[in-house]
Amino acid sequence: MINRFLRHIKEGFYGVGRHSAMSVSSASAVTITLLLISIFLVVTSNLEKITSKIENSVKISVIVSYDFEAQEDLDRIDSQIKNIAGVKLVTFSDKEMEFDFYINSFPEEERVIFEPYRSENPMHHAFYVEVNEGSMLQEIASKISAIEGVEKTNYGGESSTMLVNALATTRQGGFILVIALSLLAIYLVQNTIKLTIFARSNEIWIMRNVGAKNGYIRAPFVVEGIIIGMLGAIIPILTTIFAYIYLYNKLGGKLLSGIFVLIPPHPFVLYISCILLAVGIGVGFIGSFFSVTKYLRWKR
Amino acid sequence: MIELKDAVKAYKNGVKALNGVNLTIHQGEFVYIIGPTGSGKSTLIKLLDGEEIPSKGSVIVAGINVGKLKHSKVPIYRRNIGVVFQDYRLLERKTVFENIAYALEVIDAPKNIIRRRVREVMNLVGLDDKGNAFPSELSGGQQQRVAIARAIANKPKVLIADEPTGNLDPTKSDEIMVLLEKINREENTTILMVTHDEALVNKHQKRTIVLESGVIVADTFQGGYFKHD
Repeated sequence: MINRFLRHIKEGFYGVGRHSAMSVSSASAVTITLLLISIFLVVTSNLEKITSKIENSVKISVIVSYDFEAQEDLDRIDSQIKNIAGVKLVTFSDKEMEFDFYINSFPEEERVIFEPYRSENPMHHAFYVEVNEGSMLQEIASKISAIEGVEKTNYGGESSTMLVNALATTRQGGFILVIALSLLAIYLVQNTIKLTIFARSNEIWIMRNVGAKNGYIRAPFVVEGIIIGMLGAIIPILTTIFAYIYLYNKLGGKLLSGIFVLIPPHPFVLYISCILLAVGIGVGFIGSFFSVTKYLRWKR
Repeated sequence: MIELKDAVKAYKNGVKALNGVNLTIHQGEFVYIIGPTGSGKSTLIKLLDGEEIPSKGSVIVAGINVGKLKHSKVPIYRRNIGVVFQDYRLLERKTVFENIAYALEVIDAPKNIIRRRVREVMNLVGLDDKGNAFPSELSGGQQQRVAIARAIANKPKVLIADEPTGNLDPTKSDEIMVLLEKINREENTTILMVTHDEALVNKHQKRTIVLESGVIVADTFQGGYFKHD
């Protein structure tokens, strides 16, 4: 069993060596595919992290109407908000706190201008609502707006929705590109294996004649395809590891401003490398499997 | 052992290679198949080793209906059939021993059995001292012996020899013939030999089946080369 396994591995390496030029060209196709997959994964993973961070940090501010400032109204609104599914935390902020918050947003020397208004505070009482899922912001905000006594609700929803949409578009476009490139890589691996099949047709003929099972005949070619896939994954893996760590350190782990925090390299690059290796092996396996299966099916 | 009932083989291009062949060959028989080019000899071999399926009728070998075999079962069935061709088809980068052992390795035979059986067949074909030689170091006759040894290594019930002496001079052809007779006798292997060698058929007389245009035109147990006019 072990001997047989080793024999298939050995034959697989022979095959790669026998058509080194074709093997290199198929491996290059795998390399280009995997480099693009790597860029795609790094970009989308980081965008997703940024988006979810923004989504989760956004709160809904609920402005209470002047006509519903009595304590019982505030208690009712508070409990009604808390009863909405998906609400994580509700914090009350009375109009004095709101006033302080507002004037504190100005430089200290200008704040004095607003002090005369404190006795006739024009601010509203407010609730700040945190939600479990960023994607539920819009739905929860509209439910809160329907509560009696709520004048209006605000959330930074539009910008985060735009970001989510942009991410979805990027993901779709990238996905199509990756699928197309994977198919091309599979096709090239398939053709390389076809050459090996022709080079070894005499051996295959003998195997068939003495009654070797199709699985036995197929194994070394599949090994060869997997080796090509693995060879194709080397450069993308190394590029991902070194380029991401370099960029992360160069940018100090942040993009543009503190809001855009990048995913730390460890163990992120390790996960990406594993995915790249798995895709490389998968592409090599599928390409070679198709090629040899087609040949074996064609011959009885 | 081998039974063809109204076997017809028509190819997709319209060529009818076999046209209603009825044939019975018993275990341990030695049979010549002769006939001109295009008479259906190669198709008959392909039907017997499962490479082709009959368009009509049936081909039964060792109790197995070959035409009804599933694609995945063909390899197992083929272990019953040994095939030898005119052009030997040996693996050039393997030694004589390795070439013969290869036939047993690919069907997952245990190593000790492989070693024992390879020595046995090397002795049978008279190549005991050539185990480490490569095919390129052997004469045509010796290469054909290796091919025969490989074909009988896993003790097939039937050995099909397609023009095994086609590339050999009369002396070497005679030696191969003697070897096949020995295998037929000692291993009780049923042998079907396709040949054009009139002298050989006349010298080693056996049951002779004559094919022409896809039909059997003669089946004589007296033997001898038969020309159909």
